[in-house]
Amino acid sequence: MQLSDTGESRVNGYLFVLERSLKTFLPIDVVRDAVREIESHLRERIGATDASPNERVALEQILSELGPPLRVAQAYSAERTIDEAVATGRFVATVRAVSQLAASTLGGFFLACWLFIGYLVSFAFFAIAILKPIFPNNVGVQYVHGLPVGLGAHFPLEPGVQLGGGYWIIPFAAACGLGIFVGTSRGARRVLARWRERRVS
Amino acid sequence: MSHETWQEQLRRGSLDLAILLTVSPGPRYGLAIIQHLEAFTDLVVSEGTIYPILGRLTREGLLDATWVEGEAAHARKYYRLTKAGAQRLDQMKREWREFAGKITRLIDDAERHDHAAQ
Repeated sequence: MQLSDTGESRVNGYLFVLERSLKTFLPIDVVRDAVREIESHLRERIGATDASPNERVALEQILSELGPPLRVAQAYSAERTIDEAVATGRFVATVRAVSQLAASTLGGFFLACWLFIGYLVSFAFFAIAILKPIFPNNVGVQYVHGLPVGLGAHFPLEPGVQLGGGYWIIPFAAACGLGIFVGTSRGARRVLARWRERRVS
Repeated sequence: MSHETWQEQLRRGSLDLAILLTVSPGPRYGLAIIQHLEAFTDLVVSEGTIYPILGRLTREGLLDATWVEGEAAHARKYYRLTKAGAQRLDQMKREWREFAGKITRLIDDAERHDHAAQ
């Protein structure tokens, strides 16, 4: 079947939507390769199909057998992002993979909540380590009636709250932040690896 | 688990093996792989979802992909089995036969008991 201008526009529109969807989570060279392969598939199918009963119907049939562009993009995303997160363990890759799972499954949503809390706590510790040398009189262990009730920054200090703790808080908070960050990342990576195993097996 | 979920898991679990088997005799391009799978199985629900799997198998080093120009009006991406892919395929075939054999024996045994009870 030789496509008319309308048919060409329909194919180009499909590829455009696919490319835009893939660009949100894949490197550009991988996107180009994927779109080129899907276009090759479409051209092959179009070339081997008769325009019966008419071009529009035949073309829509080919496109529906390929699947909507967003669904094809989702399939790439599912295969790619979790693999990347498990293989590299990188922060951005892990967050991206978990976000994608959170949008599609209930388990993924709970994993995302746990990841968010873990990273939030670790960043809070990093913030304490950074702020302590800048605001030494506002960052430290808070005491109420002589009992330690928390660790953090207070601007200004509330009445009745005493601040203790010296500069030892800096390495302590940095170590806690790092420990929680690494623990959260490793935990998420392990859960994603199990997820992938379940998907493959 | 619903019957549809079970079927979906069975399909997903078999797709990697089916794709590796399809390219084991020699290199094939994407559409040829899909058409071969469609001729022998019901594993292809949506054609577009096969390409990401081919990409993953390539990243895992089980397949090797090469663009070939000039063979048709457009370039085709051919997939061939790598050495690691051939080893994995042998392992998967062995495990599949063992697994299928055990389940078949289980089915035969259950059916024998059914017949005996009737």
